[in-house]
Amino acid sequence: MKRALITGITGQDGSYLAELLLPKGYEVHGIKRRSSSFNTARIDNILPDWHEREARLFLHFADLSDSTSLIKLLCQIQPDEIYHLGAQSHVRVSYEIPEYTGDVTALGTIRLLEAIRVVNFKTKFYQASSSEMFGTTPEYPQCETTPFRPSSPYACAKLYAHWMTVNYRESYDLFACNGILFNHESPRRGETFVSRKITRGVARIRAGLQEKLYMGNLEAKRDWGYTPEYVDAMWRMMQLDRADDFVVATGETHSVREFLETAFAYAGLDWEKYVEIDARYFRPVEVDHLEGDAGKAERILGWRPKVKFHDLVRLMVDSDTQLLEDQLSGHLARSASARD
Amino acid sequence: MPAALITGINGQDGSYLAEFLLAKGYRLVGTTPDRTSDQQLILHIRDRIEIVETDLLSQEWIEDLLGRHKPDEVYNLAARASSRDLWTQPVATGDLNGLTVARILGGIRKIDPRIRFVQASSSEVFGNTAETPQTETTAFHPRNPYGAAKAYGHWITAAYREQERLFACSSILYNHESPRRKIDFVTRKISQAAAAISLGEEKELHLGRLDARRDWGFAGDYVRAMWLMLQQAQPDDYIIATGETHSVRDFCAAAFAHVGLDYRDFVLEDAADCRPPETGLLAGNPAKAHRVLGWKPAVGFQDLVRMMVDADLEAIRSGEIHARHALSNPSSSRTNSANSTVQENPS
Repeated sequence: MKRALITGITGQDGSYLAELLLPKGYEVHGIKRRSSSFNTARIDNILPDWHEREARLFLHFADLSDSTSLIKLLCQIQPDEIYHLGAQSHVRVSYEIPEYTGDVTALGTIRLLEAIRVVNFKTKFYQASSSEMFGTTPEYPQCETTPFRPSSPYACAKLYAHWMTVNYRESYDLFACNGILFNHESPRRGETFVSRKITRGVARIRAGLQEKLYMGNLEAKRDWGYTPEYVDAMWRMMQLDRADDFVVATGETHSVREFLETAFAYAGLDWEKYVEIDARYFRPVEVDHLEGDAGKAERILGWRPKVKFHDLVRLMVDSDTQLLEDQLSGHLARSASARD
Repeated sequence: MPAALITGINGQDGSYLAEFLLAKGYRLVGTTPDRTSDQQLILHIRDRIEIVETDLLSQEWIEDLLGRHKPDEVYNLAARASSRDLWTQPVATGDLNGLTVARILGGIRKIDPRIRFVQASSSEVFGNTAETPQTETTAFHPRNPYGAAKAYGHWITAAYREQERLFACSSILYNHESPRRKIDFVTRKISQAAAAISLGEEKELHLGRLDARRDWGFAGDYVRAMWLMLQQAQPDDYIIATGETHSVRDFCAAAFAHVGLDYRDFVLEDAADCRPPETGLLAGNPAKAHRVLGWKPAVGFQDLVRMMVDADLEAIRSGEIHARHALSNPSSSRTNSANSTVQENPS
């Protein structure tokens, strides 16, 4: 039985990845941070009861800012594969907490790589790189050889972690992959991210609970894919004979405006009546065009996305509509993660 | 009177920069990690500058420093660097060489966004690049934790310039040497060995790959370029290099010739110490600095080598350096010499 460790298992990607690995027969271990409030909503549906004998999903307390906790955990679990998804992952928030973002997102990755070097060098390592690293590059579509041009503290930290992953592969011969994932969304996307903010807003506006949706730059173009397909690409990378870096994207780009139009239209609403532009959301320099070329992933991993933009928007609107209905009718126990 | 804050003032670059700014009439505050750190290089100006012990890993300390001393300009030179440390303690390297840049920029944004900032970036950000010579638009490909941390510092500087409108520049410094270079850097190792051997104090010099090539300039010229960047109307990034490369062999030949010797009689290439050949040749194209800053290096390669050998001759004669002691430590004379690629001063 293979053993996998997932950092960031309580997040969007980690929860889908755990669901992918468990049926493949993996024993899955996840790291969670100590928090005063419950933070496992996305994986509650797959978390076994504590008394279940056949449990193959385990959560451990550890922290990316604490090297010792990581080394102890690797010694204890001895994972075959580590999927490093944990990060301070919000681009806008990173401007407010750049040092923390650098500590967790960049140094956290180095701490984990060092822990692997110390504990067991045969462990395979997946690093969640990000299309934000391309930032303001004038070149598109972006592929594995496109020069990076990060423009936020988050993107700088992700790029730092990316290069460290490359360095450990090239100099120590560690099996270490960077998955350069373009935007990937789902009903489990955090509510502060633009896609989910829109679909949740649409559901609430249609239900009469909200009048306006405040947005920033509508012209930003992103390459939006469906998360469950993206975690499959991660797993495929880890099954290769030789570690490498891959862009994971749909190859289609759509603006935030298109996302709004599609989501509101699907709900039978005219977006222009509800959306207000709030200048506070603008940056002096915007990352305005991310469009990935996943040709290498298709060629080498045999990976191809099936869910494209319009389907993605619809399934997210449907999910938020359902979630809201459940909440309104008192079915609070039914969580977002249990439904899709 | 303008005021400047220099982190890592006690290193090679910090000491040259301090002399340069004092001559321009600046009020100077310099940081050192603690009271016990080596202040040899700034002893002669010690009474004209304010030295502050600072924990550059602490956001609070940095903000306190900026608030209390109110500098007009900040020069961030502090870094962990040595040819041997490129791979050791990568988290500590990242914390100081990388995250401290974010801490200072965050501090400037909060305390006074008018403060001008220059980051000592490094040619190591180019690492395994396929493009030679490199310009400000060459894609980065750092090949070790030191280079990756410097690349982070570089990008976060650009991010604060663009997103927060700070006057923040990166000076992409290629190797810059001087008589103040530490002995674990290959240039100083050669100059000191040439001096010691010519005085009969040493017999031979062990080095790594002699054909490794570098773009070597004089540290005193490079700190002037950093100052020039902060006097422009607009902040920007600049390559600071000579535009010439020379091999370690060239450096040996020039150094030994200066004392009337043939390096081939004394220099041994230790194959065992050689790392695999590097893929990228780090050679900078300083055209933009010439054009925009009007900067040109005043000290050429031959002059640089002679200056370093002369200084070592003087130091050995005066008893300041005990050649035998300096060269007898096998780890310092035989460690990856040809790969001593980094230039910032350890803080």
